[in-house]
Amino acid sequence: MRIRLLTGIVLAAFVILLPDAGFAQGTADPSALANQSLRGYTHMFIAYAIAWAVVVGWVISIARRLARVEKALKE
Amino acid sequence: MSAKIRWTGAVLGVLGLAMILVLHWMVFFWVPTERTMGVVQRIFYIHVPSAWVAFMAFGIVAVCSAIYLWLKDERLDMAAQSAAEGGILFTSIVLLTGPLWGRVAWGTWWTWEPRLTLTLLLWFIYVGYFLVRASTENPQRGKRFAAVVGIVGALDIPLIHLSVVWFRSLHPAPVVMKPEGPSLDPRMLATLFVGLGASTLIFLSFFLFRYGLERMRQASAHREMAPRETPAPEGAAQ
Repeated sequence: MRIRLLTGIVLAAFVILLPDAGFAQGTADPSALANQSLRGYTHMFIAYAIAWAVVVGWVISIARRLARVEKALKE
Repeated sequence: MSAKIRWTGAVLGVLGLAMILVLHWMVFFWVPTERTMGVVQRIFYIHVPSAWVAFMAFGIVAVCSAIYLWLKDERLDMAAQSAAEGGILFTSIVLLTGPLWGRVAWGTWWTWEPRLTLTLLLWFIYVGYFLVRASTENPQRGKRFAAVVGIVGALDIPLIHLSVVWFRSLHPAPVVMKPEGPSLDPRMLATLFVGLGASTLIFLSFFLFRYGLERMRQASAHREMAPRETPAPEGAAQ
């Protein structure tokens, strides 16, 4: 009697949880899952901003040093 | 600065800037979103080109340094110094954008796995290149020491490339430079190549200006060291 009851509970739990287990194993749309878990907009924009900042910083640095040397050569 | 360097640098810079604008349009409006990582994968289009430019810059440093040690031509040392500065900056972009991508994709900012560790080591080696230059009283000696560091440091580049093949690594294996050919979506591959072209042009442009700056500094230093014609003191015998 106790074994039948336990088997019934396990089977019922299995039937109830089966759709969720299937979702977790990849039956759902993978791109939808990716969008749910990985929101990287901020990280992406910061990465591009850093790249721009480094390149612009180098331009400004070279321009300032050039101006200084040109001034020294003129004097 | 010679007109030739100035004009070549300006033309390369304008072309590079135009390609960067095209790259940004492709990255934000054209290329498809990667399925598993989502939008954060778009960091790939600046991360990989920056790594490519850094390797190219350090390759220039190694070649120029080796020939400098042989021929003792100051222009080669100036070219190596200019390329090393660009290489450090582009490696900095790699080291700053990688963790932003890794935080989302791997769940961590940094891990001491081989490729990341070797890339950080590369950055330190070339910072050391400048420290060595400045650490000696004799500038010629400093240049020679720096040239040796520049050559030895470049040995790290193939190690970085092959580290993901040789060791168990969290970093993804190459998706373009592999024997069976690229495994990227054609639009992703096109965007990557535009990124590589843009960053290469920008680097070459700035490299030329930086080299021109070094030539001008040398001219200025020579002028200061040249003996000046001093007027004869009053009353001196003619």
